[in-house]
Amino acid sequence: MTIPASLYAPRPCRLLETSDLTPQEKLFRLQLADDTSLGHQPGQFIQLSLPGLTEAPISIASSPTRGPVFELGVRRAGRLTSALHQLAPGATIGIRGPFGRPFQLDALRSGPLLLIAGGCGLAPLRSLIQYCQDRPEEFGAVHILYGARSPADLMFKDDLAVWQRSDRLDCRTTVDRTPAASCYDGDTGLLPELLSRLDFDPTDCRAVLVGPPPMYRPVIAELRRLGLDGDRRIMLSLERQMRCGVGKCGHCSIEHLSCCSDGPVFWLEEVENLRGAL
Amino acid sequence: MLKQLAEKDLLRLLERIATRRRLLTPQRQSDGSRLLLPWPGGLPELVGTPLQRKPTEIFFPQLELLMELDNSGDVRLPVPADKPVALLGLDHFDLAAIAFLDRFFLSRPTDDAYLRRRHDALLVGLSGLAGPQGATLPPAETCDLELILVPDKLLARPHAKLGEELLAGFTAADPTALRAIDRSPAERPATLLAAARLLQEDQVPEAFWEEIAARCIACGGCNFACPTCNCFGVQDRTFGNRTERSRLWDSCQLDAFMREAGGHNPLGTETLRTRRRVYHKLVADPLRWGELGCVACGRCDRACPTGIGMLALCEDLVRR
Repeated sequence: MTIPASLYAPRPCRLLETSDLTPQEKLFRLQLADDTSLGHQPGQFIQLSLPGLTEAPISIASSPTRGPVFELGVRRAGRLTSALHQLAPGATIGIRGPFGRPFQLDALRSGPLLLIAGGCGLAPLRSLIQYCQDRPEEFGAVHILYGARSPADLMFKDDLAVWQRSDRLDCRTTVDRTPAASCYDGDTGLLPELLSRLDFDPTDCRAVLVGPPPMYRPVIAELRRLGLDGDRRIMLSLERQMRCGVGKCGHCSIEHLSCCSDGPVFWLEEVENLRGAL
Repeated sequence: MLKQLAEKDLLRLLERIATRRRLLTPQRQSDGSRLLLPWPGGLPELVGTPLQRKPTEIFFPQLELLMELDNSGDVRLPVPADKPVALLGLDHFDLAAIAFLDRFFLSRPTDDAYLRRRHDALLVGLSGLAGPQGATLPPAETCDLELILVPDKLLARPHAKLGEELLAGFTAADPTALRAIDRSPAERPATLLAAARLLQEDQVPEAFWEEIAARCIACGGCNFACPTCNCFGVQDRTFGNRTERSRLWDSCQLDAFMREAGGHNPLGTETLRTRRRVYHKLVADPLRWGELGCVACGRCDRACPTGIGMLALCEDLVRR
C-alpha cells in the first residue's frame, strides 16, 4: 500500500529572530530546518504548530524574493500565539504549508495598484509590497493605504517609513484616533476617507484589500464610487479559522467554497454574493 | 455471476473474509438496535433496523490519532492496522455515504489518515428483504459484493474482482430468483429534492431559519449521527515531552465552530448555523461534488431531540 505523505505533519523551522511590531504584535523570522525555501507566493499562509497547542493559520509577511528566510507578523490573540510570543531565537517551531490561493500577480501587472490594509491585514499585504519593491519593472504605480486604530497599533513602522520615503511607492496611513501627545503625522479617519482623497487614474487600476471584516464593504463601496467597477478589479483576502489548510476540516467554509484552499485570495465577484463572506 | 448461499455457505464466506480482514458484522443489542462489531462467529443479524451508528465512522472515527510529536520537532505517524477491515451488511444509504466520504477525503490533496483506514477495505452490501419487519431494501451495488435476501434464500452477487474471488466455488443461483422482490433502485425522497430546489433558488425566508433555530438545542447530534458529515477539529494531549495530536468530529451547530481568535464569528447565531447545516448538504455539496450531501438515511431525524432533523425540516420547508 502506498500512503501519500501526511497532509497534517508539520515540518520543523528554526526561529531566527523576533522583534516587537506593536504592543500586541511581533515579527518572527524563520527558516526551515533543512535550509530549503518555503516556496510560497505572496498571499499564502502557513499552519503554525506548537506541540500541546495545536495549530493556527498565519499569513506569510515576507516576499519569496527575499530568500529562504521568511517572516510572520503575529498578533497575540489566543493560547498558541501567546506561547509563540514567549519563544526566544533558537526555538523549533512546526509549520505546514504554504497553503492557499495567492494574490493573482499576473492580473496586478496591468496598471496602477491600490494596496489597502487594515490592522493585521498589512502582514499578508507586506509580502506583495516587498514583491513589488523587488520587481519594480513588472508593476505600475503602487499606492499603499494602511489603517489602524491608533498610531501605536500601526504594524511594520520601519517598513512604513521606508515605503513613505520611496520614490516608487506612495504610502499613506490613517488611524481611527490620535492621542493628544502623539507625534504621529499621518491621517486620521477611516480608510474610505483616505481613499476618497487619493489622486489616481482608475483606468486599468486594481485594488487589493486585506483587513478585518468590517473594513470590506465601506472600502469596496468607495472603490466603486471612484471607478473600480466590473469584474477582476478588486481582489481581497479573507480571514477565517482555518484548522487544516487543505479544504478538509470544514471550519473555513464560505457557502460552497473553502477559504483555505479556494482562497484566501478571491476576486470580489467570486464571493460578494455568498452569504457571510463579507 | 449470481450465487446462492445456504447457511453453511454464508459461514464459509465469512471465514474466508476473516482470514485476511478484520470482519465487522451486524449484531443485535439488548435494546433491539444493531451495531457493526467484530464478527464473533456464527450467523450475522442481517435483518432489522438500520445500523444504529454510521458505518463511515470506521474510516473517519470520532477521535483519531494523526501523529505523535516531540519537542524537538520529530513527528511519528500511526502505523496502519495489520489487517484491512471488512464491513458486512451495508445498505444502500451506508454505501452512498461511504462513496461520498471517499470522494471528499480521497480527492486531492488525499487525506492520508482516511486512506490508511479505507485502503483495501472490503464492503459487503445488503439488499432485499432485510429491512425492518421484512421491508425491502433497494439494491446496494457500490460495494465488492452484495448479499440479497429473497424469500427463503440468500443470494450473493459480486460487483468487483475481490467479490468474485470470495464467491468462487459457491453454487450458482437462478437469476429469476431476483424477480421475487422489488429491485427498483433507491431514489432520494421527493421532499428532500424539493427543499434543495427551494434553497438553490434562494426562496427560503430568513424567518424559517429563525423558527427552526429556536428549536435547536445545539447538541450537535445531527452532525455526529450523519454519515457524510466530515468536519473535524484538532486537539493535542501532552505527556511529558510527547504530544499526541488527534482529530475529532466537530459540529457546525456549535458556537465556536468558526469563531476566530480575534472574536469574529461568521456563524455567530443559531439561525446562521441552522441554515448552514442544511444549505451545506443541499446546495454547497451539489455545487462542489455534483451530488446532495444528504443520503436520506434518517439518522439525524432519529437523533434530533427536537424534531428538526433533515427530513423533518425539509418536509416542513416544502409544506410551507
